[in-house]
Amino acid sequence: MILLNYPEAFAFAVLSAMAFAVIFQAPKNALPVCGVVGAVGWLVYIHLSQTLGVDSFYANLAASLAVSLLSEINARLWHHPVTVVVIPGLFPIVPGLAMYKGMTQIIEKNYDLGMSLLLQAGMDASAIALGVMAVGSLFRAVKLRQERAGLKRLAKEREEQS
Amino acid sequence: MTADKHYITREQALNVALNIGKVLLKSGAETSRVEDTIMRFCRTFGYHDINVFATPTMIIIGDETAVNASLMCRIRYRSNNLSNVKAINDFSYNIDPPNFNYDEAMAFLRYLLQKCPPYGKWTVCLASAICSAAFASMLGGNSHDFVAAFVTGGLAMTLLRQFDGYSLSAFWENALAGAAIGVLAIMCCAVSVQCTRMNIIVGSLMPFLPGLAFTNGLRDYLSGDLISGNSRIAEALLFAVSIAFGLALTLLLWYRWGWDLWPMGK
Repeated sequence: MILLNYPEAFAFAVLSAMAFAVIFQAPKNALPVCGVVGAVGWLVYIHLSQTLGVDSFYANLAASLAVSLLSEINARLWHHPVTVVVIPGLFPIVPGLAMYKGMTQIIEKNYDLGMSLLLQAGMDASAIALGVMAVGSLFRAVKLRQERAGLKRLAKEREEQS
Repeated sequence: MTADKHYITREQALNVALNIGKVLLKSGAETSRVEDTIMRFCRTFGYHDINVFATPTMIIIGDETAVNASLMCRIRYRSNNLSNVKAINDFSYNIDPPNFNYDEAMAFLRYLLQKCPPYGKWTVCLASAICSAAFASMLGGNSHDFVAAFVTGGLAMTLLRQFDGYSLSAFWENALAGAAIGVLAIMCCAVSVQCTRMNIIVGSLMPFLPGLAFTNGLRDYLSGDLISGNSRIAEALLFAVSIAFGLALTLLLWYRWGWDLWPMGK
């Protein structure tokens, strides 16, 4: 019974992501950013999975793409390292609950239900990991290309000078 | 191609690199970041043939010859400290080889390894309480659930921090946290009828659940670090099992076997 009132959900998600950033000892000036990024990810996830009825794998993928994109943009604009924003930002969407439910079912000997819940949690977590990796690789490829272009230009200038 | 001028010796470079990796792994960074930072550091000083292998419990730095030194270190206790990750990030981006002071760098890294984290014990417990309460509300709890989850999450984290000095294994720490959450959730439900046990438990569990560790393990898999990916995923599953174990034990004791913890006739 997820809260679907978007402003309230945004406020609570900001609180929970910021509190999680404190638990993970994030630097103080990054706390509001972590909160907002986490809240945006949570809103994307619940909008896609509850309101639009999209399959949870794609909802998680979209949410983690949004979170990673925002944290990369933050890293360029305000110089917080990407990890510092991504980790608390992913916290609301990470499937910890599904894993717990799966383990509980297995302890109560409902192995079928337990394994299916655990596999669902695994698929969701891999969607999140895919989203983070995709955006990270994209930005790293662009950065490496810029670095190589800059080095080539430097080498050419040195050749022309000598 | 001009010859790179090494501003520090090979042993010094290896020492600094090893300590950088140690700080990063002890703060919970992912393996690809650790290896990438170490390699970039060595390359900045012109040592292009150094190889590094990192897992969550060990770092080995060396090269492919039998003559030069290679270093390794073991990492036994890992925690999550994003401030250290940021500090190392700033340190490694601001390295200026001509002005690099080896002793200062080693002193800085040693300081990072033993310094107290920026938020103390009580701030973390308060944050855990707020996190639990906010999550319980996000998942549809009412205001009674908010307060109950606040109390449960905060007290569970406080109890966990009390056992910091005893070096319990991670399994028992998490089982203790799960049991504490179960007991407190049952007590809160016994106090107020409008609390939903499921919402309170779910909200309070979120700071302790290893969902993030699981996702980091999958990120390691996708980066090609199979051993670290395997270890992190196994660790995450172990934590999930231990929390479920602690929680299920308490709930079983209360509901199945009728051990009346709070004799209020409920």
